Parts: sequence; C-alpha cells; structure tokens
Amino acid sequence: MVSSKAAGGEPSAARRLLVSGITAQLPGSPGRRERTASEISSWRRSRERLFFRLLTLPAVLIALFVAIIPLGMLVFRSFLDRTGAATFANYAQSFTNPLFMRTLVTTILMAVTVTVLSTALAYPVAYVMARHTRLRNVLMPAVTIPRMLPFVVIGYAVILLLAPFTGLLNKLFMAMGIIKEPLFILFDWPGLLIAFGYSGLVIATGMLTGVLMSVDPQLEEAAVGLGASRLVAFFKVTLPLTIPGVIASGGIVFTSVVTAYSIPVMLSGRVPFMIAPIIAVTLQSLGDFNLAFAQAVIVTILSLGGTLGAQFVLDRYGRT
Amino acid sequence: MSVNDTFVGGKRKPYRRGWGRDRVAGTLGSTALGVYVGFIALWMIFPMLVVILASLEGTFDISLIPEKLSLDSYAQIPQSYWDSFWFTLWISLAATVVALVVAVPAGWALVRGRLRERRIISNLVLVPIIVPQLILGIALLGLFIPLQLKNTFLGIMIALTGLNLALAIRFTEALIQGVPEEYELAAQSLGAGRFTVFRTVVLPVIAQGIIIAGLFIFMQDLISFVILFFIAGPSTTPIAIRLFVDIVQRGVLPYAVAMACVLVYVALAFYAIVAFIFGPKYLTGAPVSRKG
Repeated sequence: MVSSKAAGGEPSAARRLLVSGITAQLPGSPGRRERTASEISSWRRSRERLFFRLLTLPAVLIALFVAIIPLGMLVFRSFLDRTGAATFANYAQSFTNPLFMRTLVTTILMAVTVTVLSTALAYPVAYVMARHTRLRNVLMPAVTIPRMLPFVVIGYAVILLLAPFTGLLNKLFMAMGIIKEPLFILFDWPGLLIAFGYSGLVIATGMLTGVLMSVDPQLEEAAVGLGASRLVAFFKVTLPLTIPGVIASGGIVFTSVVTAYSIPVMLSGRVPFMIAPIIAVTLQSLGDFNLAFAQAVIVTILSLGGTLGAQFVLDRYGRT
Repeated sequence: MSVNDTFVGGKRKPYRRGWGRDRVAGTLGSTALGVYVGFIALWMIFPMLVVILASLEGTFDISLIPEKLSLDSYAQIPQSYWDSFWFTLWISLAATVVALVVAVPAGWALVRGRLRERRIISNLVLVPIIVPQLILGIALLGLFIPLQLKNTFLGIMIALTGLNLALAIRFTEALIQGVPEEYELAAQSLGAGRFTVFRTVVLPVIAQGIIIAGLFIFMQDLISFVILFFIAGPSTTPIAIRLFVDIVQRGVLPYAVAMACVLVYVALAFYAIVAFIFGPKYLTGAPVSRKG
C-alpha cells in the first residue's frame, strides 16, 4: 500500500519521481520494458495528485471568477477612457476633483477616529471576556448577536435613538434637563460617528477577545509573582503580546469604515462625509464606469494600505 | 472571581492579605471595570431593544414604558417584503450548499493531498473576503453586465459562494486535521478507493462540524449587503437592500421597523440554536461580519 506520505521529502526528489511517473505512462517510453516497482508507485502517486488537484479545481475556478477576473478587469479598465484608449485621465480627474479629495480626507479622519476609539473602548471588554469564563458566557450574546444583524437594522436603531424630536436620547436628555433644545446630530458627522463607533466596537470586541484568549494568563501571573503590580504587569506583559492582534483588528475596522456604504447613505445630510456613496453615484447615476473603477482602486489602496503598512512597520521595527 | 486573586498550585489564594492600599485600589479598579463592561454590553444590545420596542409600539416616537403593545405593524408588512425575505433565505441556502459541496472536498484534498500549491490555493480563496465588499461589488458589476448575470439568481449565488469559500475551506481543513489519517489508510488498505474513503470514513466524522460551518455561512449570506447592492436588481432584491432602499426613499416606516425586527428574531434564533445545541464555545471565533 502506497500512501502519499512520501511526498513531504525534498522537492527535487519529489520532482524526479513525478517526472519518471509521467514518462512511465507514455506509449513510446523506452523499449516497453517491464515497469519497476518504484515506477508503478510513482505513477500511482502522480495519479493521486491529479485526483486531489481535480478536487480543488472548482474552488479555484470560483475564486478566479468571483475575485481575480473582476478585480483584474477593474484595474485594467481604470486606465481606459470612454473610447478604450489607454490613459491616466481617470486618476488625474479624481485627484483634481475638489469634492472627491475633500471627502477622501474626511473619510480618513472618520476612519482613524473610529478605529482608535473602538479599539480603546473594546480592549477592556475583551480583556474581561478573555479572562473570566463565566462572564464571557454571559456577555457572549451581547457581543455576538449584533454581528448577525444587517447594518440596515443598526441604521434604523440609530435613527430611532438620535432623531431630533422623537429620538430616545433627545427625549431622555430633555426630560433630565441637560439640554433645552433637541440635538440635531443625526444627519451630521456626530450621528455617523456614533453609528460607525457602534459597528467598530462590535468588530473590535469580537476580534480582541480572540487575541487576548490566545495570551497565556500565567505570563501575567508570573510578573505579579515577581513583584510587579497588576497594572505594570498588564502594560509590560499582556499589552505588548497583543499588539499584532490589535493592529489586525484596527485594520479591519479601518477598512470597514472607509468602504462602508449603507450607513453613510442612510444617515447622510447635505454634505457627503464618506467616499463610498460618491463612487456609487459615479457608477450608477453618471454611468462612468472607468472613472468609478479608478476611484475604487484609489480607495482600495488607501484602505488596505493602512493595514499592510502598519503590519510592515511592526514586522520591521516592532521586535527590538 | 476578582482580579486580585492569583492561582497557586490550582487553588485560589489572595495574594495580599488585609486591606492595604493596593488591595483597595484593586477592588476599586475591578468595580470600575465591571461597571464599564456592563455599560458597553448595554450599548451593544441597544439596537435590538430599540427596534423590538418600536415594532411592538407601532410608532417610532417610542417611550421606554410603553402604554400599549400591539402586533399591528407586523400585520402591515407588505407582501413584497416577505417575497424579499424568502428570496434571501433561499439564495443563502443555495449559496451555502454550493459552497460546502465545493469546499469540503477541496479542504480534504488540500490537507491530505500535500499539494505543493496548497498555500497558493488558500490565499487565492482568501482574496474575495480580503478585498473590501464595496470594491468587489463594483468589480463584479463590471463583469456581470456583459455576461448578463446582474439581477439573476445565478449571479448572486455565485458571488455569495465565492465569499463563502474561504470560511468553508478553513473550517474543513481544521476539521480534517483533527481526524487521524490512519482511519483513512486503514480503509484504503482494506480495498476502498479514495472516493469511498471520503464518503464512508471522512464525511461521517466531520459531519457535525460541517453543519456548524454551514450555519455560520448561511447567517453571513443572510446579512450580506454591499456586494449584493450592486449586482442585485428589481427582481432579485435581498431583504436588507429592500429595507435600505425604503429608508432612503421614504424614511422610517412602522412596517419596515417590524421587518427589521423580524431580522433581529432570526439572529436571536440563530444564536440560540448554536449556543444551546452545539455549545457556546463555537461562537468565540465567530467570523468577522461583512457589513457595510
């Protein structure tokens, strides 16, 4: 019985086996002599490998069709003008458009604020959830169920909470005498910040809990046992160990805010703050696909670049 | 259990006796932390509470102590909403099944086949979920219009399947790695072919895990929004998009709040199923939502 276990050896040997396996099958292979045992086994191994490759083929094809081909087309077409000639005009037009550039800046500001805020707010909750099993089971529904709601539902809730006259928050504050007139923050940037802050908090809490659970609590106990105070032990031991996870979760929050579409449209006022609705308008109302593709490339580089850059800096200079 | 305790030899002992300055500070600190965590938990469940309250009161001028509760707003939900709701359920189910049919054999082959291109394939299927949904939606629109897949069941199903692949393959790989290969080798040495081994040995062992993976994928499909916003059309509208379009065009309507509330009930039911049937540990690493 030959298993495929042998293939883990050095690549050159494996390659030689594979090549000899193929030649053994060829009709005109030298002299039609008897196949040796090793030739038969390598032939069988290459057949097995073909079988496994065929099993992964549908997944590869779907990934190509859903991601690689459309994204390749997107990048390619962003360099074409309406007649199909190669040009940089789409990028030039985006970068010189004052509305696009101003919105890009406010988007980045919003995304950075939300990322920092939600990471800072989520970290203590994640710490408690990671360290206390019983509390974790109590808090789990509150942290998990919001992730299973469409963002539209969150939008409805934010509107019901913040609406100027009928919103819960305004009525509560007016009844308590904190404010005299209703706050008109819903269709302005504070409303957006609250909605994004909510979703960022949900994402960051879930991810940071996983990160903190992977840090051995005994490390912190050891530091305390050696005389450090609780706070010092936390800042010197636990926090540095979680920095890569914090950057990863921050990157996901950042990306989700930069490319968020439904919340900005639902809560938008006259001035657009976020970039995604602008791209959608270019695409759907103006019908200028190539310009929208160029804007999409810019936003992609921006949203993924922040995360990748942070990871790179960390890899390069993080460990001294 | 307070933050002040330490574990020594498996027993819990206070690490400092008496009420020294540190002990007082520690107690204050953990109390403050507890209050903070409670506050955040309240903030996290507020959307569900507000939506449920508003749907039961039938108005958006909600009060915390409702005078009268009624189910009127649920009765007013128009047929088009229910059509969208069932459409979303069907397409999520279809995409989940297709994703599992494609991904489970692929995950098994990636682990057992020891293919050299394993890393390439793993990274390839990750691309659809790493690229922001907005960008992928726009890119798919550019591809689907010439292929006439926009506004079709098939087009939406393929897009959702692509998004599900990474999760399904990762899940399968982890499950297969938990099954000793000797089981498969034993069956093989008794004369079973590779396919028979997969069907009669591997599948029954990992079935429960696959069902849980399917549940998570189904839930993710149910709430997908941005990518579908671009490739869906008038005859194929998922419920999240219908609610979104209505709130943008007509404002908050009582029956729309009731429909949003139905989605909250679906999420609650999903949580209950996973937590009480399979155990809460499966929810810890729940996948990142693809909202937007």
